[in-house]
Amino acid sequence: MVLDEADTGPGVAVLLPGAARLSGDDQDEVFHTGVILATLDNTAGWCIRDHPDYVEGTSMATLDLRVDFVTPASLRETLRVRAVCEGFDGDIAFVRATAETLNTKVLIATGQATFMLGTPSGPNPATPANPVGGSLE
Amino acid sequence: MNKPVQAGGSLPSLALAQQQLIKMPYAAFLGVSLRVGPDGLETSTRSRADLIGNTNLPALHGGVIGSLLDITGMLTLVFLKALDQSPRLIDMDIDYLRSGQAQPTLGRAEIVRGGRRMANLRAVLWQDDPERPIAIGRLQFLLPKTETTRGGLEVSR
Repeated sequence: MVLDEADTGPGVAVLLPGAARLSGDDQDEVFHTGVILATLDNTAGWCIRDHPDYVEGTSMATLDLRVDFVTPASLRETLRVRAVCEGFDGDIAFVRATAETLNTKVLIATGQATFMLGTPSGPNPATPANPVGGSLE
Repeated sequence: MNKPVQAGGSLPSLALAQQQLIKMPYAAFLGVSLRVGPDGLETSTRSRADLIGNTNLPALHGGVIGSLLDITGMLTLVFLKALDQSPRLIDMDIDYLRSGQAQPTLGRAEIVRGGRRMANLRAVLWQDDPERPIAIGRLQFLLPKTETTRGGLEVSR
């Protein structure tokens, strides 16, 4: 996936060309749903870094992500994934994202994600010894 | 967790789940493998440098975690319902509970409701301890068409 430099917004757009290893079904040759999900998640993170209130270097973690897989996408297509940060308060960011085919503009998937900002950015202590039980706080 | 109870009277089929796994190049790229344990079908994925999203922690990429929930749900559905065609994922909802460490990730799923056309599954991923899941997912699959659902024979929805 690459940033769509020519894109004029809103938010951030990423291009994802089809490739054999991204296939969900080697007979139908469609993008695996997980590939679309991963790109939505990644683009959502990038659009937060692009938000005017984002402080450079702040780490983040996805809290939740919902994806609707509207149409299966052929691997012959390139997908454009766009993410827009709709809310940002320093602790939490809310993002909506869509994936569509670059040339034919067919809607492939929509997603909605919530991110927690300012998550630990160094190595975690060994998990069994962590009494809090979480690593997102 | 995914008890071998399913509609249609078919027996769980590891062979069909393995066949489905081979058909998914992206699952092979992630390095997913399958086994049947005392609690049913289990997916297992080794950590690899190119599956890491945050190299400082290091932590598994959120997209990889979501993909493993997707693949675990789909293969469990194929396993339990002995499907010989691919179900289609319609939507899914992931809660990320802990960051995934650079270590093997295990997955399991159960059918919450299996109908004739749709199946609702719950999937879970963990690393050291099944009681400390790193992520859970709710997944809705459209089932492959069969003789009873093909050709508009089904009246109600």
